[in-house]
Amino acid sequence: MTHTLHRVGNLENLDGDYVFLCMPSKDINHVGSGPKLRRFFEIALKHNPVKIGDARLGNEYHQGGIDKILENVEDRAVIQAVFNNKEAVVAMMKDLKEEDLGLSVVLSGLGDHVRECCSKADLKVHTVNQSLGRWGKTELLPPQHLLEIATMCGHAMVAVNFIQEMIDDVKKGRKTAEQAAEEMFKPCMCGIFNTDRAAKLITAIVDSEK
Amino acid sequence: MLINKDSCIDCGICVSRCPVSAIKEDTTEGIQIDLEVCLECGVCKRWNICPTESFYQQELVYPRTVRHLMSDVLTIAPESGISGRGTEEMKTNEVTGRFKPGFIGIAIEMGRPGIGTRLGDVEKIAQAVISEGVEFEKDNPITTMMADTKTGKFKDELLNERCLSAIIEFGIVEEKAPNVLKIIQDVSTQIETVFSLCIASKARPDGTIPHVKVVEDMGLWISPNGKHNLGLGKPVYKFD
Repeated sequence: MTHTLHRVGNLENLDGDYVFLCMPSKDINHVGSGPKLRRFFEIALKHNPVKIGDARLGNEYHQGGIDKILENVEDRAVIQAVFNNKEAVVAMMKDLKEEDLGLSVVLSGLGDHVRECCSKADLKVHTVNQSLGRWGKTELLPPQHLLEIATMCGHAMVAVNFIQEMIDDVKKGRKTAEQAAEEMFKPCMCGIFNTDRAAKLITAIVDSEK
Repeated sequence: MLINKDSCIDCGICVSRCPVSAIKEDTTEGIQIDLEVCLECGVCKRWNICPTESFYQQELVYPRTVRHLMSDVLTIAPESGISGRGTEEMKTNEVTGRFKPGFIGIAIEMGRPGIGTRLGDVEKIAQAVISEGVEFEKDNPITTMMADTKTGKFKDELLNERCLSAIIEFGIVEEKAPNVLKIIQDVSTQIETVFSLCIASKARPDGTIPHVKVVEDMGLWISPNGKHNLGLGKPVYKFD
């Protein structure tokens, strides 16, 4: 409970990190859900998402473009759209309510912000899942500033060593923070790695070491 | 995963991209994959970063197949029918009614974030929480890896296998949650890896969230961010 839940950060840098997930439920409403999932993507694209992705078939790089993601989505897919502002989240919520796809939609983000958006869109939160943090041999974990970036791919496909390499490239002027964030996104098959937030985090790390 | 050493030019571009640092640069043998560390997640090959396309997937034989199933995000778990290592859990609660009022869902995401876990450590936690009479989620792939779901004992041949993550999932009545969380807290000192811990419950009609008080009463940290099911799925489950 699960890949969008444990995004590490503070109240400031988690503001601007919202992940919508849409999925059917096995044996309840999954038959014929493909076209509805595609419609979810179309609605999301109206509101300028940071990224979209399909946990079943992969992100835009893996599938060969945004068009392919829409074209290939199938019944039983678990799909996502990432946004960086509350206005888009509210607009997305209103459209989803009006469209009435009948599929489950989960929004990951700061609880206060999600409830505020729900209120504006006349929706009520049904069930909530929260993180109780990281337990066990936590000394094995990378430092906080790298975890904030790495945990945006909840399946840990974005290697911490690669994140550090990209940060070093930005420090040396070989890449912009945006280019580094885009490179980091590539292995995140679900497409939930928020490149906008990553670029801001990288910039903050680089600036702090100047 | 293996590297075709006939075509590999030892450029090293792949080394930093392995989530668990299984790709190593050996001074005499060049770029090598440490198969003990490799979790068969497929990131290196899928990235298409190798200029000579030298990564290839060897035929995997059980129990090593478990590494691939539990670590490659694009594999479909036969139990849940969805990608990823978990289940629908709270994501579809408004249509499945899985977490009813008075119940709390707990998930122990072994190996996350990014460290990986031996299934022996997963067994250790599973056997600890079973004392409270929990029932493991049958659609979760790790439940089928158990030799006995009543004790949390895993199949012997799997205990030394490693994977990027394995999620122990179950629901309990609210009153049992403090005991279960205490057990998890105690056993967390006895494992060789990390886990991310999750808690879920259905919001009350007034918007309050039952699990928050449980956690606060225990003095545990709880995240300000989380996952929120917006209740848009149909047909709506009729909660009594």
